[in-house]
Amino acid sequence: MINTEGMVAETAAKIYTDLCGREVPHEAEAGQYPQGLWNALAENGLPLAWVSEDNGGFGADYDEVFGAVWVSAEAASPVPFAETLIANWLLDHAGIAIPDGASSFALLDGQSASVPFASVADHVAIYDSGQNEIALYKTADTTTGDAQALSPDADNRLDFSNATPVASAATNLSRRAVEALILTVRAVQMAAAIEAALNLSIAYVSDREQFGRPLSKFQAIQHQLAVAASESAAATMAATQAASVLAQNADDPEKAWHEAVVAKVQIGHSVEAVTVPFHQVHGAMGYTQEYDLHHYTRRLWAWRDTLGNEHHWSKLLGAELAVTSPDQIWKGVTTGAWIAS
Amino acid sequence: MQRFNFPVVQPDPALEELRAELQVFLKEEREAGNFRPEPECWMASSDTDFSKKMGKRGWIGLTWSSQYGGHDKTALERYIVTEETLRAGAPVGAHWIADRQHAPMLVEHGTEEQKLDILPRIAAGECYFAIGLSEPGAGSDLANVKTNAEKVEGGWKVNGQKVWSSGAHISHYMVAILRTSPADGRNRHVGLSQIMIDLSLPGVTIKPITDLSGDAHFNEVYFEDVIVPDDCLLGEEGGGWKQVTGELAMERSGPERFLSSYITLETALHQLKGKLGSDSHGRLGKLIANLRTLRGMSWGIANLLHQGVSPETEAALVKDLGNRLENDLTLQVRALLNDLPAEELSDEMRRILNIGILRSPPNTLRGGTTEVMRGITARQLGLR
Repeated sequence: MINTEGMVAETAAKIYTDLCGREVPHEAEAGQYPQGLWNALAENGLPLAWVSEDNGGFGADYDEVFGAVWVSAEAASPVPFAETLIANWLLDHAGIAIPDGASSFALLDGQSASVPFASVADHVAIYDSGQNEIALYKTADTTTGDAQALSPDADNRLDFSNATPVASAATNLSRRAVEALILTVRAVQMAAAIEAALNLSIAYVSDREQFGRPLSKFQAIQHQLAVAASESAAATMAATQAASVLAQNADDPEKAWHEAVVAKVQIGHSVEAVTVPFHQVHGAMGYTQEYDLHHYTRRLWAWRDTLGNEHHWSKLLGAELAVTSPDQIWKGVTTGAWIAS
Repeated sequence: MQRFNFPVVQPDPALEELRAELQVFLKEEREAGNFRPEPECWMASSDTDFSKKMGKRGWIGLTWSSQYGGHDKTALERYIVTEETLRAGAPVGAHWIADRQHAPMLVEHGTEEQKLDILPRIAAGECYFAIGLSEPGAGSDLANVKTNAEKVEGGWKVNGQKVWSSGAHISHYMVAILRTSPADGRNRHVGLSQIMIDLSLPGVTIKPITDLSGDAHFNEVYFEDVIVPDDCLLGEEGGGWKQVTGELAMERSGPERFLSSYITLETALHQLKGKLGSDSHGRLGKLIANLRTLRGMSWGIANLLHQGVSPETEAALVKDLGNRLENDLTLQVRALLNDLPAEELSDEMRRILNIGILRSPPNTLRGGTTEVMRGITARQLGLR
């Protein structure tokens, strides 16, 4: 379980409850950006939770903030809260002053990068593993691609070739440390979205009647949702396991890489296993824009692509395991110690 | 807020020492030729000599008091022992059931005399138990049991038949759920009781059932006017249903629900190290990620049980996911082995893989079918 107690998570929960009711994600997509929601998060300093105190933040523990990430994903946050947390964490690790407003993040591939929430974020923090450098850009200075997006916050391709960074500095963060943080945040968001969509599905089948009784009374429906519930529980476990290891290795996030990859692979592969039954039990209603289900399923389809999809990461993990001793693999499975200490 | 309660519990260094001792012992036993590893070993591989060795090392009866021959440890130590023996595919079938569920039941409900007599023998790896739940007319519909125990002077007279009782042919006792009084109208859960039956009593007949691979590890057990003493009633008369469902919840989340086939992967990993083609990396990565996640869930439940919490739904989720994973593991290993030239595929690997395939059907049946597990989950979700 992701811990949603503590000041950071409880403050976030209150803000999302008050300012992000079920209509808000709909309105955001219709063009009414919930600036009030963002302002409330910012006024309470939540996007600075992981920024060190020297740099104007709180230096909060990792696990305290994951509860807030869970809450935001449960509400299908139309503002880039998790993305700004990640961007500010990156900037802080290069000693760059944190800009006001919403930000996003990306890993640079050549001259362009996949940036979530690119249409909303004012700034983008880019990690360049080749140079061990973090650079801050204004989104307005970049060129945007025009591919069909999977969800409002989905990655968009930004071209940086003609942009000059607002600031840039060297960092001691390794690529694996950056991946560990990003994948773990995404894992927590995905687990929360899966559970929220499960809850919607349960409510829908309990209410909707066909053949003279609620859909929930049909065993075929019960079993589909029971399987989805087991995937939901597994997703939450994988996310919690990754979050917990990251919290224990706050000084060296690279050590949390394997558990973050396990979560990425576990949850990425479970997206079909949950979104298919969720849409199936909702019938055509779940396919409409009017209904809420797509706020979660489209995000899940988008989020599973973060830093590459689950197939890419399964392969990466498998390539390492293929040359690891069976004893060490067993140690990883049972204790999470994936590399010889 | 979050629907299911799976705490993340970090490894404990003291438990890891125990794990290391187990690994040394199991490696020595295997290399000495004292056992041949097999998948599904806890159900289908029994070796009473091996059980006695485990008993001598203090690895049976970890959870109960030394007053009764136990070792004053916890279910977490037992978890490590079961996990390591499953990984090794060791022949632990003889003592598994007694150690897992009947000894704890005796600790709770047995008479002082029974505890002093039976528990030390279980801990020594010398006394074995069989489960007496299913009957020809009572599988998933367990409440339909017909075998009955009639109150007679000084005891109970048992008549009827149990089926699918693994290891009954080498067991000393069976704990059976029996009808001790009629159902109350449509409520069939009343009037059921758990009774411990000495399988050497007159009137007990045990007939092996051969499985599709030719093994005979499960049995039919017939009772004809078997007189069982009064003190063999375990727990409350008429409280059997509640006791059984509690017991089933405890046994649904253990390592045997997702690691029964791990020996197949373990053997393959030894063969494949450094030889796996890049097209297979994704398959291996996903399988290991699934195993790590399941292990986290199962270990979380073990820790809840250790704290006295009994999470029935979480256990059902682990069993459903875990049973699917065990069967998937065998299939994934088949695919991975394509990367090995045929002449490098050892006979031992083929033997283990084939046993795994032959023994796969009961994974999703025993201890409650997949359908029963999904029914439990659906109830928790509020769907029934």
